[in-house]
Amino acid sequence: MNYPFWDEPMGYGVLMAVIAVFHVFVSHFAIGGGLYMVVSERIARKAGDTKRLKFIEKLSKFFVLVTLVAGALTGVGIWFVIGLINPAATEALIHNYVWGWATEWTFFVVEIASAILYFYGWKRMAARDHMIIGWIYFVFAWLSLVVINGIITFMLTPGQWLATGDFWDGFFNPTYWPSLVMRTGVCGMLAGLYALLVASRIEPGDFKARMVRYSAGWGIVGLVVTAVCEYWYWKAIPAAVVEKALQIMPTPIHSIEYSVWLAMGIGALLVVFGVLAPRKLSSPAAALLMVLGLVWFGCFEWFRESIRKPYVITGYMYGNGVELAKADRYKKEGYLAQLAFKTGDDGADLFRHACRSCHTLDGYKALKPAFDGTDRAFIAAIIRSAHLLRGNMPQFLGKPEEAEKIADYLYQRMDKRPLDEVYGLQGVELGRKAYALRCGKCHVLGAASDKSKSFAGQSADDLNSMLNAAADMGEGMPAYTGGAKERAGLVAFLEQLGKGVKK
Amino acid sequence: MNLPDYEFLSAPLWLVTVLHLLTFTLHLVAMNFLLGGVIIVLHAAVRRRWDDPTLAKFARLFPSATAATVTLGVAPLLFLQLVFPRQMYSAAAVSGWFWMGVIAAVITAYYALYRAAFKAQATGKVSKLALAVALIGLLYVSLVYSSVFSMAEQPDQIHNLYARNQTGLVWNPAAGDYALRWLHMVLGAVTVGGFFVGLIGRDNAEVFATGKTFFVGGMVAAAMAGMAYLLSLQAWLSAFMRTPAISALGVGILLSLGSLHFFFKKKFWPAGAMLFVSMLTMVFARHTVRLLKLAPQFDPATWRIAPQWSPFLMFLVCFVVMLAVLVWMLRMFFGSKKSAA
Ligand code: HEC
Ligand code: HEC
Repeated sequence: MNYPFWDEPMGYGVLMAVIAVFHVFVSHFAIGGGLYMVVSERIARKAGDTKRLKFIEKLSKFFVLVTLVAGALTGVGIWFVIGLINPAATEALIHNYVWGWATEWTFFVVEIASAILYFYGWKRMAARDHMIIGWIYFVFAWLSLVVINGIITFMLTPGQWLATGDFWDGFFNPTYWPSLVMRTGVCGMLAGLYALLVASRIEPGDFKARMVRYSAGWGIVGLVVTAVCEYWYWKAIPAAVVEKALQIMPTPIHSIEYSVWLAMGIGALLVVFGVLAPRKLSSPAAALLMVLGLVWFGCFEWFRESIRKPYVITGYMYGNGVELAKADRYKKEGYLAQLAFKTGDDGADLFRHACRSCHTLDGYKALKPAFDGTDRAFIAAIIRSAHLLRGNMPQFLGKPEEAEKIADYLYQRMDKRPLDEVYGLQGVELGRKAYALRCGKCHVLGAASDKSKSFAGQSADDLNSMLNAAADMGEGMPAYTGGAKERAGLVAFLEQLGKGVKK
Repeated sequence: MNLPDYEFLSAPLWLVTVLHLLTFTLHLVAMNFLLGGVIIVLHAAVRRRWDDPTLAKFARLFPSATAATVTLGVAPLLFLQLVFPRQMYSAAAVSGWFWMGVIAAVITAYYALYRAAFKAQATGKVSKLALAVALIGLLYVSLVYSSVFSMAEQPDQIHNLYARNQTGLVWNPAAGDYALRWLHMVLGAVTVGGFFVGLIGRDNAEVFATGKTFFVGGMVAAAMAGMAYLLSLQAWLSAFMRTPAISALGVGILLSLGSLHFFFKKKFWPAGAMLFVSMLTMVFARHTVRLLKLAPQFDPATWRIAPQWSPFLMFLVCFVVMLAVLVWMLRMFFGSKKSAA
């Protein structure tokens, strides 16, 4: 914890998503689009097809404006953002991979220079020379993926590096190859989808049909490569990570499910409009395809980012910048002792450094809905047991009294009315809410730690005494500290659970 | 568990420093051409000094200059973060919103310059508005960098500022630390911008005269601002006097004068080479001041060195390939003739 905490209200997840999503799209498009352009230029020149050549020239203007400016700068932007929101991780990555990054930079320089020359070269260069520049652009753009892919995949699956600390062990890690081939497929697919969007606006006729069919081919090949590699990638992730995700991490699992459905939808549309009825492709349909493609890729990226939880570098550093190697020191000396920057408000400092990089109070991954209407003791217990909650959180490594300080800080900012008043609920419905807040985060109904069976055949008295003994039921399970009304509701709800009534 | 430690440098410090200062100087060349160029061209447009075709010719160069500036800026920022992570990220975090604003400002400036370039291409006229928007964006970036990098040299100040405000809306209040430094940078940009304007406009008496005016005037003004900045270093000044940087700076000043001499004779190769080396010496002096200011808290020589030679070799090879490909492409670009199709 060597750094100050940038306390911005949006939440780091949102901030990162805003810039990263955009950049990731544009950067893959920049690679695929480059290949699409030279290959198409070659075909057009061979056929002496001036109409097609003009089409590509027009495309390249937009291409340059988007990739050179927005693409390159959001890339720099991601780098700026990660330095702010996770300086420790950025520092770790740069120290291990500075020569990787420096190498990528050399490719980046050539990529940018060749894009500019390609663009201005339409007017003044001989055909062959112009295409050579185009190829240089594509090769170097792709090479920059070859390098950055090593660093991105390292974060999820550092593999042997954890034992050896060797540059190459981390670089060519278990997900390196599937990810590289997959991203290459994505590049081709996005290029095809984009070209379809442009082609859909050509006036109807043979030329349009030809361009649509050709571009759809790119989309389909890209999609097939991507789909196969997505499976390969999934298999390359260590079994333990996948298993844990299936049990307690709904976010990445939903993302991957959506991505499969979306891929099928895109594939169907590509076949219908691209192959069967290329003349019928309208701009809205092409736009829809493009949007689906982006959402699909977004789902995959979301999956990759969220399955890594609670780590920023798996098995090495937590999302809040705590290094696993220093876990013992945190436990022994406490969290505060590790903070280089303090504000005088311990609760706030602890909250920022322990939780705030993933949560906000009432925005992204809000904590208010989780704690409104509960009490200080409960909040403190949850902090101490954070690693037991669904969602896969890092363990709180500080001292118990530091958990109390965070709890104080949070409790002051919560709605302190009893639960029934906060939500205007009564009886079983109140109990359902109480369960969701006080039990359901660890005992997810229908998942591995569902305790519904334990409530079977229990009377209200039994359940009450169970709640009295709550703190002794499991390592890390909080004592039951709710008020009388809430307790009655909860007991009624647990009785229902015991009877097998889920809804 | 014995997890790998990341607190090391993967090459000897001198090597990293050489790369850092060299790439930073290259970045400055591009940045000066861009910032100084925009200032001079805007000035010429407002004062109606040049005719439209000349203005348009310059306006069409700026997008590529922006690309060069950004691209060449990435490498030194990487090495800076490598050697000074604590100082850099802390200062940036305290000014988080301003720091992020740099990206928005550069994108805005970039598109404004593209707009100006396309308009110049299409209509032969230069858009003063677009250039002015770009200039504001570039100046914003320069101010943020001066504020943040100067804050990074004073860790105690970062602690105090952070204790008072954590929202990332802190602007470095110690303007005395960096006002002159910033001024020197901007005037230096005007100087080098003047050089480039003279170089590109060497066959046009009007343009060459403008370039000359800004080259000479900028150099005098920048030298004065630079001197004032050095004097404002007070306690650090005497320490600075005892470093090799002071001799380097002396050589740099002589070289700038030499550069002027050759510039007047329109001998641009020696003039440019001398200018570049003099910029290197100033970058070295700037680096020395940073080390002096940080010395009580941090000395980069304390980094553990654990070289990664094979990745470094990969970088070196790619770097050479990069230079070769760049030269090859440029020759092809300027040598290639579109056949009448
Ligand atoms: C590495 C990121 C990370 C850190 C650090 C973190 N959490 Fe979480 N937390 C999560 C994720 C992910 C979830 C699951 C949320 C979801 O799936 O919507 C979660 C869920 C929760 C929930 C349950 C929310 C709900 O409504 O289900 C609570 C309460 C919570 N966290 C509190 C905390 C507290 C208190 C801290 C600090 C001690 C903390 N978290 C630190 C990532 C984190
Ligand atoms: C912070 C996480 C957490 C919360 C919140 C939590 N529990 Fe538990 N609970 C555990 C752990 C850990 C165990 C012991 C391991 C196990 O059986 O899965 C456990 C065990 C149980 C058991 C099984 C005991 C046995 O011997 O079979 C029951 C029943 C139970 N909890 C009910 C509840 C109820 C009701 C609530 C809400 C008032 C609740 N728990 C809240 C973590 C939690």
